[in-house]
Amino acid sequence: MEWTAATLYQTAGDRLACTLCPVRCKLADGQVGACRVRRRTGERLETGTFATTVRHYDAIERKPLYHFRPGSSVLTLAAPGCTFRCDYCINHRISQYGRDDVPWRADAVDPAEVIELAASRGASVGLSYSEPSLAIELTLALAALGAHRGVGVVWKTNGFLTEEALALAGPALAAVNIDIKAADEKRHHELTGAPLAPVLASLRALHARGVWVEASTPLIPGVSASPSDLARIAAVIASVDPGIPWHLLRYTPAYRRSADLPTLPDALAAAARIGHEAGLRYVYVERALGPSGRATRCPGCGDTVVTRDVWALRELRLRDGTCPECGTVVEGRWDK
Amino acid sequence: MGQVTSYRFVEHLPDLIGPEEYAEQPSGGLVRFSISVGENGVEVLGDAIRPEVLERILEALGPEEIEQMLCG
Repeated sequence: MEWTAATLYQTAGDRLACTLCPVRCKLADGQVGACRVRRRTGERLETGTFATTVRHYDAIERKPLYHFRPGSSVLTLAAPGCTFRCDYCINHRISQYGRDDVPWRADAVDPAEVIELAASRGASVGLSYSEPSLAIELTLALAALGAHRGVGVVWKTNGFLTEEALALAGPALAAVNIDIKAADEKRHHELTGAPLAPVLASLRALHARGVWVEASTPLIPGVSASPSDLARIAAVIASVDPGIPWHLLRYTPAYRRSADLPTLPDALAAAARIGHEAGLRYVYVERALGPSGRATRCPGCGDTVVTRDVWALRELRLRDGTCPECGTVVEGRWDK
Repeated sequence: MGQVTSYRFVEHLPDLIGPEEYAEQPSGGLVRFSISVGENGVEVLGDAIRPEVLERILEALGPEEIEQMLCG
């Protein structure tokens, strides 16, 4: 593990206060933060996240981002670590670094090399699989270089950031998908170990800053899967912007939640109806409902304007972001 | 004492279970394997609705390494 200079901290008496996530750890010299990937050394903060465990070329649809450069690819990086401790996390072997005896497995990243690789394939760079906001320094470096090469940076994030971090990250991000995992504070805290309010604040703040925002909700029994909980989550998203795409994720029991039952297709279909009833224009289910669950319909005339295969674009019928039948604007960043 | 299995994260692995089967498996008990023999030895490809079940089975086979797709 290689420690490099971090940003987002300030002096707090004899401590250094990390201002990246809302936990706001106040660190003594040598102390590691609750995230396990940021530490104080002398009078500076350091991060271990200028690194990645993987370099994967994915379809942008896999993040999932359905309304951002459809059909393009994304070079995905992931440094170990997460600010959440979700007990259903399939990615726990990298996300729970510092807990569970997860070993450090990551190599240092050369941002210039990554940007050139992405540019050569017309790809974005994505930070995903673990919590990308913990790699904000890497994000800023990639975005600075990517701006000159037409390479945007995208996150799949839990949205657990401070206002200071949002102000720094917002201008660097082209698109984000934010997980909204529960409808209320109590169950969100039980699931993740963290409060919900900062997540919703991030949704609003990044949307207000002009970052393309999509949201995802896994249907977790007892946490988010009931109709009333889904309606609350959908209403929150719609209150920010009914044009935010909402991805409903089939839940598969994993990690420490093996006693649960997996989500059935009927439940996903019902959840999609709830999303539409809340006013959301674009509600998606990746696999369980077949191609219709992945299709984009014009909010004006209902015509199908984008069709998708699993993790792939099939056909984009929009003309300059509008429906070819009725001319209604379909929200998104549709340019390749 | 058996060796410790390490996990390697890969971009893609083929599906062996289709979405049309989800409704037929409300408890998520379905596990499916494809076993093949190639130049590098025996390859066991697995798919399951409950990932931890598949991982336990594959680990019991004692491989040096298991390939896994990540979520997100």
